[in-house]
Amino acid sequence: MGEFAYRRPQTLAECAALLREDGAKALAGGTDLVPQLREGRRQARTVVDLKRVQELTALERTSDGGWRIGGAVSVRALGANAAFAGEHAALLASARLIGSLQVQSRATLAGNLCNAAPSADGVPLLLALDATCDIAGQAGRRTLAAAEVATGPGRNALAPGELLEAIVLPPRPARTAARYLRFTPRREMDIAIAGSGVRVDLDGDGRIAKANIVLASVAPVPLRATRASACLLGERPSSTLFEDAATIAASEATPISDTRGSADYRRDLVAVLTRRALADCARELGVNLQ
Amino acid sequence: MKQIISCRVNGEARDALGAGSETLLEFLRDGLGLTGTKEGCSNGNCGSCTVLMDGAPVCACLVLAGEADGAEITTIEGVAKGNDLHPVQAALVAHGGTQCGFCTPGIVLSAVALLERTPNPNEQEIRHAIAGNLCRCTGYDKIVEAIADAASTSTRTP
Amino acid sequence: MSATDSRDLRVVGKRVPRVDAGERVTGRAIYPADLVRPGMVVGRVKRSTQAHARLLSIDTSKAKALKGVLAVVTADDFPEIAPNTIIPFGETGADTWVSAVIVMARGRVLWRGQPVAAVAAVDRATADAALDLIEVAYEPLPAVMDIQAATRPDAPLLYPDLKPKGFDGVPAVRNAASRTVISRGDTTAALASAAAVGEARTVIDTGHQGYIEPHACVAESDPTGNVTLWVSSQGGFQTEIQTAVILGIPQSRLKVVPLEIGGGFGGKITVHLEPIAAKLALLCGRPVKMVMSREELLSGGSGPAAAARIDVRVGADQDGKLTAIDGQYVFDTGGIPGTPTTLLMQASAACYQCPSLELDGYDVMTNKPRTEAYRGPGGIQAAYAVEQAMDEVALKLNLDPLELRRRNAAVTGSLMPIGTAFPPIGLTNILDAVAGHACWRDPLGTGALPRGRGLALGYWRGTSMTSAAHVTIAGDGRVMVTMGSVDISGTRTTMAQVAAEEMQLPLADVYVAMGDTKSSGYSDAAAGSRLARTMAAAVAFACQDALAQLKERAAQRMQCTAAAVTYGDGVFRTSDDGGASISIFDLMRATLTDGAIIGRGVSTKLPLGVEIGAHVVDVEVDPETGQVTVLRYTAFQDVGRALNPAAVEGQIEGSVVQGLGWALTEGFDYGEDGRLRNASLLDYRILTALDVPPIEVVLIETPVPNVPYGVRGVGEMPIVPPAAAVANAIRRAVGVRVNYMPMTPERVRAAIRKAHG
Repeated sequence: MGEFAYRRPQTLAECAALLREDGAKALAGGTDLVPQLREGRRQARTVVDLKRVQELTALERTSDGGWRIGGAVSVRALGANAAFAGEHAALLASARLIGSLQVQSRATLAGNLCNAAPSADGVPLLLALDATCDIAGQAGRRTLAAAEVATGPGRNALAPGELLEAIVLPPRPARTAARYLRFTPRREMDIAIAGSGVRVDLDGDGRIAKANIVLASVAPVPLRATRASACLLGERPSSTLFEDAATIAASEATPISDTRGSADYRRDLVAVLTRRALADCARELGVNLQ
Repeated sequence: MKQIISCRVNGEARDALGAGSETLLEFLRDGLGLTGTKEGCSNGNCGSCTVLMDGAPVCACLVLAGEADGAEITTIEGVAKGNDLHPVQAALVAHGGTQCGFCTPGIVLSAVALLERTPNPNEQEIRHAIAGNLCRCTGYDKIVEAIADAASTSTRTP
Repeated sequence: MSATDSRDLRVVGKRVPRVDAGERVTGRAIYPADLVRPGMVVGRVKRSTQAHARLLSIDTSKAKALKGVLAVVTADDFPEIAPNTIIPFGETGADTWVSAVIVMARGRVLWRGQPVAAVAAVDRATADAALDLIEVAYEPLPAVMDIQAATRPDAPLLYPDLKPKGFDGVPAVRNAASRTVISRGDTTAALASAAAVGEARTVIDTGHQGYIEPHACVAESDPTGNVTLWVSSQGGFQTEIQTAVILGIPQSRLKVVPLEIGGGFGGKITVHLEPIAAKLALLCGRPVKMVMSREELLSGGSGPAAAARIDVRVGADQDGKLTAIDGQYVFDTGGIPGTPTTLLMQASAACYQCPSLELDGYDVMTNKPRTEAYRGPGGIQAAYAVEQAMDEVALKLNLDPLELRRRNAAVTGSLMPIGTAFPPIGLTNILDAVAGHACWRDPLGTGALPRGRGLALGYWRGTSMTSAAHVTIAGDGRVMVTMGSVDISGTRTTMAQVAAEEMQLPLADVYVAMGDTKSSGYSDAAAGSRLARTMAAAVAFACQDALAQLKERAAQRMQCTAAAVTYGDGVFRTSDDGGASISIFDLMRATLTDGAIIGRGVSTKLPLGVEIGAHVVDVEVDPETGQVTVLRYTAFQDVGRALNPAAVEGQIEGSVVQGLGWALTEGFDYGEDGRLRNASLLDYRILTALDVPPIEVVLIETPVPNVPYGVRGVGEMPIVPPAAAVANAIRRAVGVRVNYMPMTPERVRAAIRKAHG
């Protein structure tokens, strides 16, 4: 393990300046970064702790009725906000699959996104909910779709000097439901062999107006199953329809085989989890599936 | 480069030097001599190093010492008040909830944190609260029973 | 045999909280990693990056030159130990050559993670930097990573010069170090004419003991060369002997002080770090602390539990009476030969009366860490095969699986697999208890997913070896017990109970200390479910010896003969002069300076306390994912007599959950290159509190004759049946057998796919 310096700036500008330095790494919850640094899986000369920057620890409603989740808001803090927890129960539930309670005391959704593990449990629903990210840098701020943050296993789209200031969730549509299911051999303290996060909106006629299916652990990055999502559009929810979407989602997955599971098993799991997650959404929307 | 870390540990103000790359676990054990917090994996996977940081259970191996600056830390050494065991500790003794004892400090702190937020937990909530603490000796039964007993003891006493 | 057999027990058999629980729940219990000595430095190990290679050279010059490095060692710094350097350990002894190769590779490496060098430096960062500066030149050799690869006719030989044992007249199996056969009757004929043959062909992955405390020790030497070692070990004396031989120093120069042990389960009998730490301390003159990282520990730093391939056929007649058990047991010993299969082969057939047996065992070498003991070593794997084959017999005969066991259960006096008669056992009582229990009678209940109920029996022979204790009486009459063993599972508490019972004093008047190797008598390591049983005997004998001495002294005070003195409840009385009496407290106050009372107790080769039990499990299986959920678990066990029922239940509950872990989620995944791909507690999945239901324990007590308190072994047997019981439950839930342990969701799913599409 290499030695590194620990810095705790108070403002966004200081953060950006420090993060421009060679070998600087942003630290949010640290539950991924700290062991990575100590085991030499990542290198850093300076670790820049974001948690003293006020904007980054804020969880607030946006003017249009969405939510803005600061880059250093822990999963525990998300759960402590009753309004957020009520409105985004599914997203919160997915974040509560990250590690143990001890990990959730520290871990952040922004960190889950930036760490860019294909298995990140908090990420599929962020993508499915069309979250965007405010990226702060010395030159100012830019916006990135949550889907664009991870660019490969452990790699993200942030440039040196940039940090994820906040995740922005758009306002919640009238008839919508979301659900993330993952499969792990243990109930907790485990990494998804495969996961599926789905979001379904219904129109006034009971047809699917919008559907997003995002898969975990079956591609180099969290994978948007676009064809599976598309096959749902304009249709009424039904078991057959969900079965079809699940089969398509499995065909869109490009998993690898590793110690946690074979590619074939992962594809099978995608179909099962997607079908079950869709059915859960339908149930939440009060739809009886035939 | 070392820096001074000032925090409250078990209610006492402590200042000590820590390197930037040092974890809270190393700071507590090596810097402050609080060896009740155990190192089982240094990876956040076993929960042996669980301490409370501003009231929340954390794995001390996943926190940098510098992050603790200004924080309130409770370690196993601070759970009992003198010779008065916390109800969780007393119940673990009475129920045989500690065997080799290595996971016990972490279990105690997870249970203390649980009872702070959920004074009357059911069995599932207890199991969930200690799911991040691996125990290889007990099979968890007597720990779960002890925590349930501690909950009823502490809610009975005003 | 015990002084108290004739009266009701007052302390023994009671639920007593552990005497050392207070220090455990407050974080005060000291494990070696917690110890700080003045001027202490850090020792770290350089480990092999090759699964099998010749060590061409190890250049330590750059590491030695690094500022802050105090000492560097390789195998050259230790005397060479020849194979078959047998040191005392129980009835068979142990080969220190094995320990020496585990401690430091010499000439070649046999697995990834085997130590090749070690350093002592002022801090961890400097030590790690020094390890990076050590240059090791390897000449890679072909490696074999599993039993199948090792036993192919063209497989590279790990030990070309080794003469395999037990292959007289038959061709040797490639890379097998030994073969063991247990044979009686004609199994071929019996199987050919059997009404039903149940078969199990199983593959079991390497597992790990999974103690939560990583290996750690502190070594310190003085200028005259005396060494003190503070250890976390199952045996202080075993550590002392192994370390002295590996260092080539007399035992009189070495003191081993056992501290608390954060779990061992068999994996802390052999030395790993201790001789290295001692050598580094001797070289640099500073105390040296060594602590393994979890990754080191899992990938080559410690000895796992053996992988195995076991094929078993069980034959029965139309009435469900067994006619034959035929089994082939191939065990993966890792990179050093010498994992005998005798005990587990016996265990696999011990629960049943069966006229013909053909059990054939092999000890096969691979380029994996040397297998070490794990709670009933081999018993889990053997039961996994045999109990599934039994279940198949029941299915084929359409017979209740419990009834099949009842028709064949071993009884007191029936023939054991080794050909001798069973000592008193309570298997019949156990099976009766199962039959009458709700866990067997309750309907399974229905849920959204298929459910099944599985039954499996388990047996473990255990061992006795030798244990020593001595008892001294304080000036106020209180009792101090010093054990020659460590405290492995509440030993201090149960021994305090025994001493209180024997001395007829309250528990609070007894203090039990774990002795070090210079203050206590030789005791074998805590292994083979022997400690509580044999140490209880030693403590009872020591108390009786002390009481005899006290009676002499009381007789002098009361001016009568010792024979006339009786003792009860802390008071000595004389019968011949109208009832003079003196309490043990007053007696000692008055006579302390007449000389110490030292009661001596040694128990050696006590009658075995064989362990037998039956487990019943209900599971639910998700056919789409392969997820197995354990809904209910009940463990029945004959414990002879529970010295402390709370402690006994705790042992059984923990053992069951440990067994469920290997059954379902724990298994080492080695790559072709010998790298362990799941070397963390994230991917080596020990079960959490959420993965298991409450474990119900039913204790049955059939005391062992001629053993104080009739105690049986407890700790090993209950890990034997869980995997088999779960396998049988899965079979009854979804109609398939996985035959591959751990029965991970993916494997369960694959088995279901194969059977049903």
